[in-house]
Amino acid sequence: MKTFPSPFCFSGGIHPAYNKDLTCGEAIRRLSCPAQLVISLSQHLGAPAVPCVKAGDIVSGGQRLADAAGMISAPIHAPTSGKVVRIEPAPTPLGRPAPAILFEPDGRDVWESTLDPLADWQTHDPRALAERVGAAGVVGMGGAGFPTQVKLSPPADKPIDTLIINGAECEPYLTGDHRLMVEQAATLWEGAAIIRHILGAKTVRVAIEDNKPDAIRAMETALPTTLADAAVCVLKTSYPQGSEKQQIFSVTGRVVPAGGLPMDVGCVVENVGTTLAVWDAVVNGRPLIWRTITVSGDAVTAPANFLAPIGTPFAALVEACGGAKGRIAKIVAGGPMMGFAQAALDVAMTKTSSGLLLLSAARVPGYTSQPCIACGRCLDACPMRLMPAELSQRIEADDIDGAEQTFVMDCFECGSCAFVCPAHRPLVQHMRRAKAVIIARRRAAPKKS
Amino acid sequence: MDYVLLIIGAVLVNNFVLNRFLGICPFLGVSKRIPTAMGMSGAVIFVMGMAAAVTWCVHTWVLAPFGLQYLQTIAFILLIAAFVQLVDIVMKRFVPALHRALGIFLPLITTNCAVLGVAVMNVKAASGFCKSVVFALAAAVGFSFALLIFTGLREKIERADPPRAFQGVAISLVTAGLLSLAFMGFNGLVK
Amino acid sequence: MSDWLTPILWIGGIGTACGAALALAARYLSVEEDPRIERIANELPGANCGGCGFAGCADYAKAMVTADTAATLCPVCNSESSAKIAALLGRSVEVSERKVAVIRCGGNDSEALRRFAYNGIADCAAAAATGGGDKTCTYGCLGYGSCVRVCPFHAIAVADGLATVDPRVCIGCGKCIPACPRGIITLAPAAASLHVLCSSKDKGPVVKKACGVGCIGCTLCVKLSDGAISMEGFLARVDYSKPLTQDVLVEKCPGHCIQKIG
Repeated sequence: MKTFPSPFCFSGGIHPAYNKDLTCGEAIRRLSCPAQLVISLSQHLGAPAVPCVKAGDIVSGGQRLADAAGMISAPIHAPTSGKVVRIEPAPTPLGRPAPAILFEPDGRDVWESTLDPLADWQTHDPRALAERVGAAGVVGMGGAGFPTQVKLSPPADKPIDTLIINGAECEPYLTGDHRLMVEQAATLWEGAAIIRHILGAKTVRVAIEDNKPDAIRAMETALPTTLADAAVCVLKTSYPQGSEKQQIFSVTGRVVPAGGLPMDVGCVVENVGTTLAVWDAVVNGRPLIWRTITVSGDAVTAPANFLAPIGTPFAALVEACGGAKGRIAKIVAGGPMMGFAQAALDVAMTKTSSGLLLLSAARVPGYTSQPCIACGRCLDACPMRLMPAELSQRIEADDIDGAEQTFVMDCFECGSCAFVCPAHRPLVQHMRRAKAVIIARRRAAPKKS
Repeated sequence: MDYVLLIIGAVLVNNFVLNRFLGICPFLGVSKRIPTAMGMSGAVIFVMGMAAAVTWCVHTWVLAPFGLQYLQTIAFILLIAAFVQLVDIVMKRFVPALHRALGIFLPLITTNCAVLGVAVMNVKAASGFCKSVVFALAAAVGFSFALLIFTGLREKIERADPPRAFQGVAISLVTAGLLSLAFMGFNGLVK
Repeated sequence: MSDWLTPILWIGGIGTACGAALALAARYLSVEEDPRIERIANELPGANCGGCGFAGCADYAKAMVTADTAATLCPVCNSESSAKIAALLGRSVEVSERKVAVIRCGGNDSEALRRFAYNGIADCAAAAATGGGDKTCTYGCLGYGSCVRVCPFHAIAVADGLATVDPRVCIGCGKCIPACPRGIITLAPAAASLHVLCSSKDKGPVVKKACGVGCIGCTLCVKLSDGAISMEGFLARVDYSKPLTQDVLVEKCPGHCIQKIG
């Protein structure tokens, strides 16, 4: 059985207009290296990487530029050969500036890597392979940027039996993962096999939403007969099907406990892009230095999917798409649901930049927020089964303790509630504010034994 | 069966706060937060039950035999006041946190017309000891029921932004009125 | 028995019995409470502002009596009340200087640029978390009023996108300081009138591009102030423990960031 429909679907969810037809038919184009790259040292969850080069250094492509700082961190490598101009703070897509390496490619693309290609990875120790993934700077490319080595090294008391490759790509406009599945299906299956070997899992599932029939066909056709217990699981199209916890439920029916992690139910979920990066790191010995990014929106002349080096300024991506079309009302790094609005195009892409959207005023209507009318639409929409109406009222009244009691920490800010709210309340912003206050309180509170 | 109808009657159909309009003072005063309201409910149930018992005893064995029914009001107030003061002292000693939370409202139960009302109603209905106490407890449960519902509503109103003219007690009273209207729906449930 | 004697005896009897029960209860179930707590609580202003760091005036009174807490924590008390409280505690009076809050930013919407249109919760912490804040200067006041909402005395007002403290109303309880996500509110002595209304740590040219009344780090004030103002990187800072009376600084400052308040 190569393909089967998912037996479950999470409760809630929304169906925004997807607008994927702008780019889902466009093959991924390799972007020529721009004149300058701004490589942020904070491209992953955890501590920023520590630079191991200094201003003026000449480096080769693949050479390490910064080392991981601690366990929850990842190293950063040069996307191509060139010179380190200087190291200084630069704006990031998240808004806060972070130290970054200003890099000038020399156009010669001289390559040097400290990782050997491993065609016979099946014979290698899983732990060594996981270390290789960490040394290659692979992080979760679905958006969170969690260091993949840590994810692939669960503690011994949490055995993993199911590996799910996340091909849902539920965000509107984004089609990078979709194209990767269509164009590199065979490689993707090998990457999945490598990850399965590292985790020691039994089952492999590639989860794809049913609005990508060509990707499903491509993955089905490329499924190697030698790969045991592997199949494509077709998910009902619903946002946020691409979220870990929701996807685990849709594919396996298991519920990750509140405050828990996928490994608590024996699962690991890896994004399509991350899987290919793992394959690249193991089989070719290449670190994570280039990634797929979708540039789309109705204010872009020619929307497209690119394979671009990390550190590419957003302005260079827009130029490669023929420039902006008309007046840009909003710039979003990522998808429109969970992405971050940008003030200007002077930011550079990172390992977690999956999309860049330029939207015209027609797509970004102004709105004024009003008080909650207790209609309950948000309760229907929330995939985590929270009560956004009650939560937002409590947070607005500064009752952060009350919000904590009503499980605001389980909110992963998908935006489904804000999408359906008829009063146009900034619900996600309320949740973010409460979570920031609670995290700050937990950090400040002295640890009591 | 008699008792079941009596309880339903006291709790829902003829709710002491929402139909008979007794005990409005603590109803409005202690309905700001659920934990305080629950504490108050407990105190009222206890006081009303004991007050009904004590007043029934005094009425049956002192006032009636000696033809002193006209002293009913004075005697009942005396007993209820002393009893609530006793509860106040005991609470301060054994549950100081709750005592601090209820603050001024504990003495308010003394002059609470609901407690006196239940005692007088028992005399009027000439019920036996058991029935009097059950009626008093049911009335108190009805009071607590209305109080807790109202507190929940009030906690939500706290967060809302009514027009200037309605802010504070005004919107609470309007809400209480609406709650009272809602409880009228129970009319005819018990004949 | 006669018509009037029976009721008198009965009511009298019931009353006595109740009284006796209450007297016994008061004797054996009473709770020891230091009478000083209530008297001190009466001397305190009763605003329950939390400026002392306790949950309210009653709580602070209790702490003073039972936990030997300092008697000088209440910023609202006048010297008369402080003296009475000290006397009740049997301690000597300590006089503390009156302080007021100062928001160290002068960038209102006419002077400071905004780099994007912010449409979200009117809360400064939320605005600061969105793309680093909508003001071009990443250090300045965002003007969404988080400090205004927290002030128990209504001493702060937002006008033209900038919050300012009225020193006549402010009593220096300090509640506004943690409410500001940029951390630009500070307590200064009420007597001090000259302040550097800028918190930008950026270099001069960067500050000038972002705001017309920012500190450009020219150090002119350092020379003219006899040591009361010193530079912290590119930003001038007033040392309130030293006297600063040179009103001429207001005109002379090329960045127009030194202002006289109060």
